[in-house]
Amino acid sequence: MKNLLIVIISVLAFASITNNVNAQSDRDQIEVQVDGLGCPFCAYGLEKKFKEFKGIKDVKIELETGQFSFTYPADKELGLEEVENQVEKAGYTAVTTKIIRADGKIEESKQNITELTEESQIVSKDIFVSGNCGMCKARIEKTAKNVNGVVSATWDEDSKMLKLEFDSSQTSIGEVSQEVAKAGHDTKYSKAEDDVYNNLPGCCQYERAQ
Amino acid sequence: MKSYIYLLGLILLNLTMSCKNETKEWSYLKTIDLGKATPIGLTAMEGHLWVADGDNNQLIHLDGEGKVLFKEEGFERPMHIASDRGSIYVPEYGKDQITIFKGNERTKLNLVDSLDAPAGIHIKDGQMAIADFYNHRILFSNDGNWISFGKEGKADGEFYYPTDVHTAHQKIYVADAYNNRVQVFDYKGAHLQTIGETEKMNAATGIYVSQSQLFVTDFEHDRILIYDLQGKLLQEISEGLEKPTDILIENKTLYIANYKGKNLMVYKIK
Repeated sequence: MKNLLIVIISVLAFASITNNVNAQSDRDQIEVQVDGLGCPFCAYGLEKKFKEFKGIKDVKIELETGQFSFTYPADKELGLEEVENQVEKAGYTAVTTKIIRADGKIEESKQNITELTEESQIVSKDIFVSGNCGMCKARIEKTAKNVNGVVSATWDEDSKMLKLEFDSSQTSIGEVSQEVAKAGHDTKYSKAEDDVYNNLPGCCQYERAQ
Repeated sequence: MKSYIYLLGLILLNLTMSCKNETKEWSYLKTIDLGKATPIGLTAMEGHLWVADGDNNQLIHLDGEGKVLFKEEGFERPMHIASDRGSIYVPEYGKDQITIFKGNERTKLNLVDSLDAPAGIHIKDGQMAIADFYNHRILFSNDGNWISFGKEGKADGEFYYPTDVHTAHQKIYVADAYNNRVQVFDYKGAHLQTIGETEKMNAATGIYVSQSQLFVTDFEHDRILIYDLQGKLLQEISEGLEKPTDILIENKTLYIANYKGKNLMVYKIK
């Protein structure tokens, strides 16, 4: 009788574990590292924006670290690009995006890495870029780093200077400047289109030179 | 002649005292540490303070000395709260509603219009005003009759993400956050005045209006700006502030919700 009870309990425990695994296995886990989550009004807006994804659950947002995560039904096959577009719609920049599929497979966004050649010449230059806040910083730096040839890019919120290291055989200050302007930020050499500027989040709408 | 000189002396003394009163400034008194809480909104009721902790989805109830009495959890991103007749009115940014919290009960404020991320509410003498963040407008009720005014834009009477609102002196004062200014309206929603443009604020997120002064938080610049009601800048407070979001005056004491500092900064007139 005692053995029978042990067998029944074991079977029930196994069934429970299996059910839990099944419950988890029908959802993907999405993890996004978001830069510039300094303002609560906008950060809560990011959370709100993702409510448009019907079926979203387990939303967690850490303002201090910029970690944003949620789970989503696996059968909807949410892609990296959709996640990053939604982050951008809320005005933020996804630095890294990772999807852990229900079956265990992992998909991650790729960051642009400049490959140097024998002809490469690394140049350091500073350029003035308009912006206001942490969200601006994330956008400006990510845009600059995505230009082939840029090795590093750091924007300072106080001085408004973007410190660049780039391979002059692959790109130029003018090209980086144009790309940053396309993202909405006026530079010493290039001006952003008005509609792109107007679509920046409120806190990013810096005062423009006339 | 002697009485005349005496009278003149009294008048001069009185004038000097008046000038001194006008130049009195708010001085730092103490800091109330809130642990892991991130204060966004403040209100007072029966001598006690209530703090909306946005990041942790809760209200914190403190006594007059700043001692935490209890925490009430389960709000979805509570913002600039208000109190009226024993109830706390909580704009739930993530839930698109105003929740009325009284005792252990919670009810939803009935509105004909739907809200999109309510960020602030103020109630006084039968008037209620709500800052409707994503709809770029203010809802205002005078004895139950609601009007709404404002739309997205930068012109007078337009808003760019209003985050807080205050009614006083028969006027409605709006923290027009990302237009970096305060706008003042009459009870019909007609624009009367704009304050704070010369200070080049970056996100005017919280507002409070006293008998003679207007207080506004300049979020990104880590400071509080204090104006007279005509819009003349009287004082700037910045020491120790990290991303302030709200201001409250209770018992002649100024409380500042210091969001990133995770505390309340307390000031007194000296």
